[in-house]
Parts: sequence; C-alpha cells; structure tokens
Amino acid sequence: MLSFGVIAQILWTSLATSSYFVLSAMAFAVVLKVNRLFNFAQAAVMTVAFYAAYTLVGLLGLPGRAGFVGALVASLVLSAAIEILGLRVLRRRGASTMFVFIFTLMISELVAYLAMLIYGTWPATVFPSLFWPATLVGPVAVSGWDVPAVATMLAVCAALYAFLRLMRPGQFMLAVADNPDLAELYGIAKDRVYLITMLIAGALGAVAMFLYGTRAQVQPTTSIDLLLFAIAASVIGGIGNIWGAALTAFVLALLQNASVLFIPSEWQGFLLYIVLFLAIVLFPQGVHFRKISQLFHRLFPRRLDNTHPKDA
Amino acid sequence: MTGVLETRGLAKRFGGIVVADDIDLTLSAKRIVGLIGPNGAGKTSLFNLLSGVEKPDAGSITLDGKPLVGMRMHDRARLGLSRTWQNLRLFPSLTLLDNLLVAPRHYASENLLTLFLTPGAINRAEKVNREKAMAILERIGLADLARSPAADLTFGQQKLAGMARALMNDARCLLLDEPMAGVEGQSYTTMQKIVRDVAESGVAVCVVEHNVAFIRDLCDEGIFMFAGKMLARGTVEELIADPRLTELYFGT
Amino acid sequence: MEYFYTVIILIGLYVVLASSFNLIIGYGGLISIAHPVFYAIGAYTSALLSRDFGVPIVASMFIGAAVAVIASIALALPSLRVSGDYLLIASIGFQLGLLELIKNVSWTGGAGGLTNIPSFLVQSVGRETYVALVVVVAVLSVWLVRSIAHGPYGRALSAMRDDELAYSALGRNAIATKVSVFALGSGLAGFAGALYAHYFRYIAPEQFEILQSAAILTMVVVGGMRSTWGPVVGAVMLEALPQAITFLNLPPSVLGPLQGLLFTGLVLIFMFLRPQGLVPAGDLWRATGDKDAR
Repeated sequence: MLSFGVIAQILWTSLATSSYFVLSAMAFAVVLKVNRLFNFAQAAVMTVAFYAAYTLVGLLGLPGRAGFVGALVASLVLSAAIEILGLRVLRRRGASTMFVFIFTLMISELVAYLAMLIYGTWPATVFPSLFWPATLVGPVAVSGWDVPAVATMLAVCAALYAFLRLMRPGQFMLAVADNPDLAELYGIAKDRVYLITMLIAGALGAVAMFLYGTRAQVQPTTSIDLLLFAIAASVIGGIGNIWGAALTAFVLALLQNASVLFIPSEWQGFLLYIVLFLAIVLFPQGVHFRKISQLFHRLFPRRLDNTHPKDA
Repeated sequence: MTGVLETRGLAKRFGGIVVADDIDLTLSAKRIVGLIGPNGAGKTSLFNLLSGVEKPDAGSITLDGKPLVGMRMHDRARLGLSRTWQNLRLFPSLTLLDNLLVAPRHYASENLLTLFLTPGAINRAEKVNREKAMAILERIGLADLARSPAADLTFGQQKLAGMARALMNDARCLLLDEPMAGVEGQSYTTMQKIVRDVAESGVAVCVVEHNVAFIRDLCDEGIFMFAGKMLARGTVEELIADPRLTELYFGT
Repeated sequence: MEYFYTVIILIGLYVVLASSFNLIIGYGGLISIAHPVFYAIGAYTSALLSRDFGVPIVASMFIGAAVAVIASIALALPSLRVSGDYLLIASIGFQLGLLELIKNVSWTGGAGGLTNIPSFLVQSVGRETYVALVVVVAVLSVWLVRSIAHGPYGRALSAMRDDELAYSALGRNAIATKVSVFALGSGLAGFAGALYAHYFRYIAPEQFEILQSAAILTMVVVGGMRSTWGPVVGAVMLEALPQAITFLNLPPSVLGPLQGLLFTGLVLIFMFLRPQGLVPAGDLWRATGDKDAR
C-alpha cells in the first residue's frame, strides 16, 4: 500500500493543499508576533474575502481575476475597520486581554451569522465548478490548481520575507514586535505599524481563502476551522516565529493528508484536535526548531571530510 | 553557625548579561544583612532567584537546610521565605486589611474543599488572621486605614503596607527590596524600628537599599554588589570607607 | 402552560450556566469558551448511564457532574501550567474536538443525537415539580457563586486577578486556585446539562456548539461580569429575547442566524457603550455582609 507512487502523490497533494494552511497560519502568526494579539477576527476577514470573490465570480459571472481583487479589497477594508474602529479604541481604553479576545471572537461570529443570513449555509465555491484538469507527472496526478497554488504560496512567502527584512514598514514591524516601547522611543508610530500588520494579515488571509474556495467548498463557518489550524500552527511553531508557523502548517497539512492511509476520513478532522492538545501538553513553548536541528547534528555528525561515520 | 538561608555558587545570566556570578550568601537569625551597589548590580535579581521568580543557571539555595532550587514560589513562601517588592505590588482591588489577610503563610480558605467541608475551621482561621493583621497594622500605625482601598494610600503608607503584608508570613527569612525608597519622616523611623524588632525576634533579614544611612544604622553586615558579583563584605563603615567601591557606585 | 414551563426551565438552566461561567471567567479571570462542552458532558453522561446502563437518574445526574469536573481538570491542569492563553486555545480545541468525537461515534447517537432519555419526575409527580427543581438548583447556584465570591476564597481570587506573581510569592498556589474554580464552574454546568437531558429527553451535538458559547458569554458580559445578579439578568434577558423572535414565525434557516446576530451584536454594542454590563460590579472586593457587596 505504501508504494513510492502513493507517497509521492501524498507529498505533492500536501504541498499544494498546504498553501492555504500556510498562508492563513502566517496571517495569524504575524499579528500574534507584532500586535501580540490572538486575532480571532481573522476568520471574519477570511469569510468576507471569500464571499466577495464568490459574489463577483460565482454569482455575477466576472472573471477569476476580478474575484481575487475583490477578495483582497474586501479583506483590507474589513481589517482596517476592525483595527481602527475596534482594536485601537479598546487599546486606548486599556481593555483587558479578555475583553479584546471577546471582541475578536464576536466579530467573527457576527460575520459568520451575517453570511448565513445573506448566503445561506449551503456550501459555495468561487468558480461554479471545482473541476481542474489533471496531468500525470510520473506516478503523480498534478491538478491544474496545484501549480498556481504552490507558486502563489512561494511568491507570497518570498514577498513577505523581503518586505519584513528590506522595506522600512516591515523593519518597523519587527522592531515593534521585539520591543514596542523602545520602538516608540525611536519615533516609530505603533498604531500605524499595528494597522499595517492587520492589513498584511488580511491580505494573506484573503489569498488563502481564495485558494481554498477555488478547490473546496466553503460555508460561513469554514474560516473558523481554518483559523483553528492557523492557531495550532502558530502555537506549535513557536509564538513570534512566522516561518515556524508556516513550516508547522505544512507539516500539519502533510500529517492530515497522510492520515487518510491509517484512519477513516471522518476522523481526519478529529486528528487535528488531538495533535493540538498533545502539542500544547508536550511542547508548551512551541517546538524549538533550532534545538531540533542542533540535536539532529549531534546525532548525525558530519566528519570534516564531509562523509558520514558509517560511510567510512 | 549555620544560616537560615544559604546560597552557594548561585549563577544566572540573561543572554549576554550576567546578573549573578558565583554568589555565596549566608543569612542568619537575628542578623540584618545589607546589599548595596549601583543599579543593575544584580541585587533585585538575587532576590528574584531566592524567592523563585527566576531559575538559577547553577548553584544551590537552602532554607533551614531544605533545598529551594526547583521549588515553586508559593512553596518557598510556605516554608517561611517572605519578601517585599521594589514596585510594591499591593492588590488594588482589596482594602489594606484584606491585602494582609491573603498573606499568612497558610491560608485556610485557599482550598475549595475545606471551604465546603469545614466552614467552622475557616471562620476560626479568619478570626485569628484578622487579629494578627490588626496587631501588625497597630504596630506600624496604619490601623485606622485598615478598611481603606490599598490604592488610596499615600506612597509612604503603601510602602509600610507592603512591609506589613510581608510580616504576615511569620517568616524565617525576610527579604526587603528597597523598603525606604521614597519614605520619609515618621514612616522612616517606624520602618527602622520594625525591621530591628523583626530581626530581634529571630528572623534572618536581608535588605537591598540605596539609602546608606539606613543601611549603616541598621545592618550588622554589608555586601557590595556589582555586575552580578559580590565584591566586598564587611561592616557598613568599612564598605563606605573603601574608595574603589565609591567609584564603582557612582561610576566614572 | 407547558410552553411557559419550558421557558422557565430554560431560563433556570441558563442562570446556572451564566453564573458558573461568571465564576470562571469573571471571578477566576480565566479565558475559556468550552463551557457548553461540560454542559454536554453532564447531559450525555447522565443520559447514557440512565438509559443504557440502568443507573438511577439521580445518581446519573451527579455522576454526570462529576465526569464534567474530571474532564475540566484534565483540560485545565496541563494548559494552565503553561499560561492562561493556552487554556483558551486548549478550550477551543477541546470544545470542537469533543463535539467532533460525539458526532462520529455511534453510541452517542452521532450527529443525529441521543433520544429516549429517561424522564425524571415529570411522569411520576408532574412537570411543576421539575420546574421547581430547576428553580431551586438555579437559586442555589447563584447563592453558591455569590458566597464563594464574597467570602475568603473570593478575596484570594481578587488578589490573584490583580497580581498573580505577588499572590504566589505570598504562598498561594495560583494554578491550584484556577483549576479549582474551573472545576467547580464546569461541574455546575455538567449538572445543568443532566437536568436538561432528563426534561427534554433529546440531546444533539449541535445544541452545544459555539453558538452556545457565544450565548453564555453574552449573558455574562451584557449582564455584568463579576456581579451576582448580572448573569441572572443576562440569562433572563437573553432567553426572553429569542422567545420573542420565535413569534415572528420566521423559517428556521433565518431564525438561527438571526438569534446569533442578536447575541453577537448585543455583546459588541455593550462592549463599546457600556463595558461594565447591565449590573456593574464594584472595583473593590467586599465580603458578604458588607452592605455594598453586589
């Protein structure tokens, strides 16, 4: 059962489907890192992005590109509104963490109920059909959706990396993440940085949701499930570590796909909760990737002449 | 004479900053030790290591012979280690009296089961604690403010309140972190007397202070700390007279 | 008349849920959304024990509450050892995960629900007795939470909420306190669940989903956190309101989301316009007997 072909297929499908997991995980992780906030309102932004795309493409028949732009615009507008009208006001009032959490949770629920009222609870997709032509590359079936999805994920990751390292707003974000008070002393406007971070997270979520909605069915509560995945990845990957979250999201997607070999498909969703719970108990500070690589190098040392001990 | 609190080789660093470097300290009953040194010398960090706020990288701490490293904060307090805080840390939602009432070494009502099963014992414990707390408040002269919200007290009164709260523990070892900072006049004299009385009653006391007069009048022994190390020990007069230390204290 | 009894029973059960949740989130300062899950655990445990294993109903109800307590400790203890934020995440996972489990397993009735739960009191002594029972339990719950919150235990809770580090340095075990509060609140919810199961005789996973979490949260936040009567007012108001909407005769696909919209909208409005809730709590902790204790 575990032939090369099966393994290769699982690996490829995981890579492709991890795209939306990775992007939504990064969205959650970046807000957690910079704004120090568990942004449950991300689900609301993702829902709005999807239904904007769905309305433009699925209902109004506009081309996919219009849907993509629509999703982005909708998510940016809502993200800005949540930050400026909601989070900023609560911050000024010195609201407790609990209050802010309740706020973000309620926003996501509100949007979910609105979507239910307007669009109903039956599943929807961006394009009327989920059919994507597949070609065989060796033993692996590559769908027409896969390559653009992977390309998008890699492009966005690269863009985010470049933005954070090379562009001033990105560098400000890292400074505020590191030490917000110190950053303020250096003249960085914290509120502006918080807004930019929310906008970036909104955009990441919109792309994630667009990808998801072009491959699978979406209901008003789908984004909340995706959010749980993002939370798990961010927590396990180490709070404050965006790339840890991305990597963890990929690994979790792989686990979920591979699990179909071992457990009935109805239980796949349940697996995630078990993993989350175990991760919290076993890795409370998140997985320390650096320590793992150090451990790996200690167990498998390379000699100076670059051969493995057992090769000699 | 073995001390009440002893540390050997205590060490701690945060990244590149060494806050404790091979610290050996003995606090004995009835003696008051003063820790002096510039800001950042590691004095409060030492208190944090002793009380359990931070974990040391190396070294040992014992209280009456029992090892403290690895023991959680509340367990150390229950063994008789009590401290005050540089930034007070009174409970703003409680009155002055209530601040003291949550502070005895053992709090009968901490356990929900005892609350339900032995309400009589709870009531008795409350009564005993109340009497003890009021006695302490009388001693420090804050008895008539007992029912005031702790947040409404003046800074000097809050400082005294912090001390009073620490005294509820019936501690074996008392750590005072800058008890005199910002305190003047009557409160100052009261504080001095209280620290002396507490030590006399058999407690090992350690005080971190910048107020040299306080340290000189009160402490049996002084220790100068700098950059995490204990550089010099002796009577406070000896330390004050040492020109090297003065230079380190005020910087160049 | 039976409709009236149903409303009273629902209000009574929500008073228990809201008060016990107030204990956890208001007095304990713990962020969790898993309260409905313990309601569910109590309901399912009691229902299954009495229906499939012949356990007497009264015993089943108490066992249901006990199982809820044990489950809550299993959730809270490892999570709180890490931090309060982790409890939140773990509670979300626990809520969704357990419901997923219930839906996928046959002996719970799966997604379709559990039917034929044995009736209690109604057939032997009449509905009025059950209504009285629920009201008594509701009153006792409110009294229990109040006496805990305004007694020496509540003093400790208040201090813990203010400054957990200073609290621990005095010799108080903050984690034990939090787990105990969580366990008590969850146990009360479990008992309420059992009461629900043996009156309505049908329970299904969808009754315990996130909508319930939002509803209970709304009752506490809108009613007023950390006040005795706040959750009661919240429960009465938020049970009466949906009943009022049902008279509009809307189709269920509209009714559900509309109720949800109402809950979440109310919380948001209150959060910005009147964050202290309808019955605000005082800033200062006061003991029972103190005339200002609310």
